[in-house]
Amino acid sequence: MARVYQVPAHAFRWLALGVVLAVLPHLVSAPLWLQAAAVVLVVWRLLIQRGRLRMPGILLRTAMLFALSGATLWSYGTVLGPAAGVALLVAAFCLKLLEMFRLRDAYVVVVLSYFVLATVFLLYRNALVTIYVLVVLCIITAALIGINHPEAGVRSRTHLRVAGGLMLQATPLMLVLFVLVPRIEPLWNLPSDKREARTGMSDSMSPGEISRLAQSDELAFRVEFDGEPPPMRERYWRGLTYSWFNGRRWSQATPQNINSGELVYRPGDRPPDWYERLRNDRQGEQYRYRVLLEPTQQPWMYALTVPFVDDRRHMVARDFRLLATSEIRDLYTYRVTSWTEMTLDQPLPAWERRLNLSLPSEGNPQARAMAERWREEAGTDTNFANRMLMHFRNQPFYYTLEPPLLGDQRVDDFLFNTRRGFCEHYAQTMAFMLRAAGIPARIVAGYQGGEVNTLGSHLLIRQSDAHVWVEAWLDQRGWVQMDPTAAVAPERIEMGLREALEQQGETDAFGALDGFTNSALMQQLGLFTDYYEFLWQKWVVGYEQEQQGQLLSGLFGEITPVRLAIIMGVAAGSVLMLMFLLMLWGNRKPPLHWWQQEYWSMRKLLVRAGVDDNIQHGPRGMLAGVRAQSPAAAGAFEQWCQMYETLVYARPDLLAEGGGRRKRMRQLRRQVARSLRR
Amino acid sequence: MRAQVQAWYGNWLRRRIPPARSVTLDQRRVFIFPTRYGFFYLTICVLLFLGGINYENNLIMGFSFMLTSLFIASIMSTFRNLASVTLVAGQYRAGFAGAHGAVEIRLLGGRRYHRSLWLRWRNEKAQPPREVSLEAGAEDSVWLDVTLPRRGWVDPGRLQITTRYPLGLLRAWSYVDLDHACLAWPTPVASLSAPASGGKEEQGERQHDRGSEDFEGVREYQPGDSLRAVDWKKLARGQGLNTKMFNDPVEGRLWLEWDRLQGLDPEARLQRLCWWVEHLDGSGQPYGVALPGESLSPGSGSLHHKQALDMLALYGQPRREVH
Repeated sequence: MARVYQVPAHAFRWLALGVVLAVLPHLVSAPLWLQAAAVVLVVWRLLIQRGRLRMPGILLRTAMLFALSGATLWSYGTVLGPAAGVALLVAAFCLKLLEMFRLRDAYVVVVLSYFVLATVFLLYRNALVTIYVLVVLCIITAALIGINHPEAGVRSRTHLRVAGGLMLQATPLMLVLFVLVPRIEPLWNLPSDKREARTGMSDSMSPGEISRLAQSDELAFRVEFDGEPPPMRERYWRGLTYSWFNGRRWSQATPQNINSGELVYRPGDRPPDWYERLRNDRQGEQYRYRVLLEPTQQPWMYALTVPFVDDRRHMVARDFRLLATSEIRDLYTYRVTSWTEMTLDQPLPAWERRLNLSLPSEGNPQARAMAERWREEAGTDTNFANRMLMHFRNQPFYYTLEPPLLGDQRVDDFLFNTRRGFCEHYAQTMAFMLRAAGIPARIVAGYQGGEVNTLGSHLLIRQSDAHVWVEAWLDQRGWVQMDPTAAVAPERIEMGLREALEQQGETDAFGALDGFTNSALMQQLGLFTDYYEFLWQKWVVGYEQEQQGQLLSGLFGEITPVRLAIIMGVAAGSVLMLMFLLMLWGNRKPPLHWWQQEYWSMRKLLVRAGVDDNIQHGPRGMLAGVRAQSPAAAGAFEQWCQMYETLVYARPDLLAEGGGRRKRMRQLRRQVARSLRR
Repeated sequence: MRAQVQAWYGNWLRRRIPPARSVTLDQRRVFIFPTRYGFFYLTICVLLFLGGINYENNLIMGFSFMLTSLFIASIMSTFRNLASVTLVAGQYRAGFAGAHGAVEIRLLGGRRYHRSLWLRWRNEKAQPPREVSLEAGAEDSVWLDVTLPRRGWVDPGRLQITTRYPLGLLRAWSYVDLDHACLAWPTPVASLSAPASGGKEEQGERQHDRGSEDFEGVREYQPGDSLRAVDWKKLARGQGLNTKMFNDPVEGRLWLEWDRLQGLDPEARLQRLCWWVEHLDGSGQPYGVALPGESLSPGSGSLHHKQALDMLALYGQPRREVH
């Protein structure tokens, strides 16, 4: 084998640091074997650099590669997909550290560490991690610079400084590219990972689910309104509807034999009848807003009733919901326009009526009997619904996060016995009663309310804002929203869960959080960090086609492909031009001293007069040439040479004085010029 | 065809970067192109960009833009690292034809640093390049070996100055002709009979016995005096550096003469004369050299030795500025 290439010590320091820092974020949640392998391989490499160990042979390296690939397959069940792929990449990359025999291997390690560093963004996307990545990028670049400066005695710090300078120069161009390069749809589908389910809504509602959810302070989504947001009590963020009740749980249901065009509409497709009618009947107030949805692993999107979208990635469902075409695995942003009212004169098809009236054939006899009796007394559906709400308000019903357990006949038990419950209890009881009275009804699940971040004037909707309510079909009015919780605990709707529970004398659920979040300072700080996180999510992580279009059309008017190309060309061109100018400016010659200028002027003069150019011998070397041209000039020129030599070689201390000598030399030079011209 | 292309390329280079004793590199003279690592790096940029699109990950996309911008910034940096360096032809160290000489290249930095510049002759691909770094405004010089194929002035060809600093993703280079020449002395070729008159060498015998010379006295050492004649004892006694003076040898002055090598072609004559110059210098004997039209009076010492060799080397060569 040829001589083994040694990374210079001053560069190796940065290389080792860069490699460790690039790998570190991947190890945090990696399987144990990968953590161990990374540590062993990096330490091994450090010992090699110190001369304590030798590079392993080809057999051992191959064996290790197979072992690591096997371990990846064993841990992830695949080597495809981001998580497994990145684990394999990190393992192979650490192994590559033990295979640095040539300069080429060092380059491969550096370029691969850039790649490994970039994949950190598959795991984390916040601003702090981005700063971390930029710092590590600078360190790896310093290592690359060190490799290209293979002299002994170079200081490592120099490399870092040069790397920092390069990054600063690169930043403007990077920003231009980031803002202007068109964001396009994914070119092909890449394998992606199933992530563990997160807290959030599920496709069915069983007892206790919503109240559990409501105890989580986790962020569900953020909303940014184009204008003023609607008042708190009108902020019902609809996510999904439960139309099927089996006696125990409410769940989403799609009837069989129904054409999917009857259920969902995807923008760009031919609009079905129900969608046409929906669009024609919309009225009332209009809200335009953007939602930044945290990953849910579900396709449901949250919006105010009745939402309209025009992006083909989304679908509008017949029950006024929005759906994404695939599950939401990353932060997801979308624009919605909602109309608050409908002049609903929509027919209710038989299948839909049937679905929304369906009840188990038996159970809860008391509730059923009361529903029938009330329906007769009420006369109209509206009166029936109102009576139900009044009943909740006037009877001693309590709003609580910790309701007692219900028996088999859960509706009966709740209505006539416990009378303590959370929104889910009220909603399912009301929906049951409506159906029992022959009024089509369904449960809507989503969030209600939201906290305003005054800094960013956007809304924060947390899991604790989770809520369910009821919609009933009333003749001449269509689907009407009803919230029995508002009847029991109006504070919940007006002010939020925390206030509502406090009014009911129930604060234990938030006990752990209270001490921390209640202090005004912490609250302010929380809003502050949320604001920056929001800006980051909105403008960097969530910078997509739509924002790009918005930003560019705000700056340059309507965006056509041609215009975009021109803008990109001009912007990138001007940045490059600026860099080029800076380069030339940095490259100009150092300014000359007066005596140097004097020398160059004299030389130019003589060369122009046709005297042999002989820079090697200094001015005196040209004396013979001058004499040949004009003996008269030679005298002055010799004097000039004398002064020049004295100043430059014998008495450089006199240079600083300049003054008279400078003048005298200039006079002599003019004399030479005159004599030569003659 | 190949030769034609090369000739055309040589001409083009000569027009673009004409030979000069002093050359300051600028945008006209510096070429730049990515290295294979540069292409590898760009491939990674493209992969990250595609990954960013497909995973709809703006930050990965931004990272790939950052790498791309770094590449573009490094075009500028690599260029600047080479541009504004001034190369000046320095001195040369002559050598025997068939062996190596060396020439000096002086480098003057601009107002910015120039790091990791690699110098070698364009034609000598096998030669390991020499590395030099200049901090802002600094000056340095590099001696490059020159293979001397024949006697006389040897043109080492164009100088190739290359840099990959800072990132190694791009290579900037220039081919500079500093109008360099290195002098090659004739290859010494032994001959049994001395082409000499005067002294015993005429008979082909060598005179070893310095004792037959008359010691005349000492004088102060002057540069060029043979180190053999230095009075080391006096120096050891602390009386300064002195040279012992001898009378001319009894046999008279020794002349190495061109005319005595009848029947040989000029190069062969010079080679034999050269051998004898080396030989006589080695034994510390004074000698003179007589060539057609020029001669060097007998003497000894390193300066004399060099003068004799240079005379042999320059015989019949076109005149050239000696520096």
